[in-house]
Amino acid sequence: MSKRPPITNRVRELREAHGRMSQAALGEAVGVTRHTIIAIEQGRYSPSLETSFRIARLFGVGVEDVFGWEGD
Amino acid sequence: MSFKEKSAWVMGAIMLATGLWYAQLVAGAPQAPVMGSLIPYVLAVVVFSIVAQVGLAIASPSEANAPADEREKIVIHRAGHWSGMVLGVLVVAAGANFLHDSNGVMLFHLIIGAIIVSQVAEYLFQIVLFRRGV
Repeated sequence: MSKRPPITNRVRELREAHGRMSQAALGEAVGVTRHTIIAIEQGRYSPSLETSFRIARLFGVGVEDVFGWEGD
Repeated sequence: MSFKEKSAWVMGAIMLATGLWYAQLVAGAPQAPVMGSLIPYVLAVVVFSIVAQVGLAIASPSEANAPADEREKIVIHRAGHWSGMVLGVLVVAAGANFLHDSNGVMLFHLIIGAIIVSQVAEYLFQIVLFRRGV
């Protein structure tokens, strides 16, 4: 079955820093469901490049400030 | 739980329950004309599916109208791919059974059964992927 992707993220941290934006509001802003935001925050799903950029731009940071690579 | 996962649970349960009923009908009269078991089965699936989908849509109308997002599309495609393999294996098994006993009526029922099982498998795969991640 699927392995946890080796990608870390700061989505929850950035969302909370932005006035405790809700998962539903973030999902609506970047074009995915609340459940997909939950999956991203829990590390169960790595978003597409487009969604990654949308999230980063929404928070006014670069993609590498949101997502990182874990492991080798 | 997302709307699509709820839908997978409900549709999986409907397909499983009606599939078992179909198997019971066939087991009761294995050589009867196939339409005698197929028509009631199809009607039951259609009616239960419509009622279930309408119920789910009433419970969460905004989610029901929303298209699948990128993660949901991956889940749906991957589950469909795996269930297609299940269908292929079962159809080959049904064909092998026909080579063995040359029973055309049973071949028909086994192929319908293969479609039912693969559909149940597709919903199960969706549930697993929604829960464990893709």
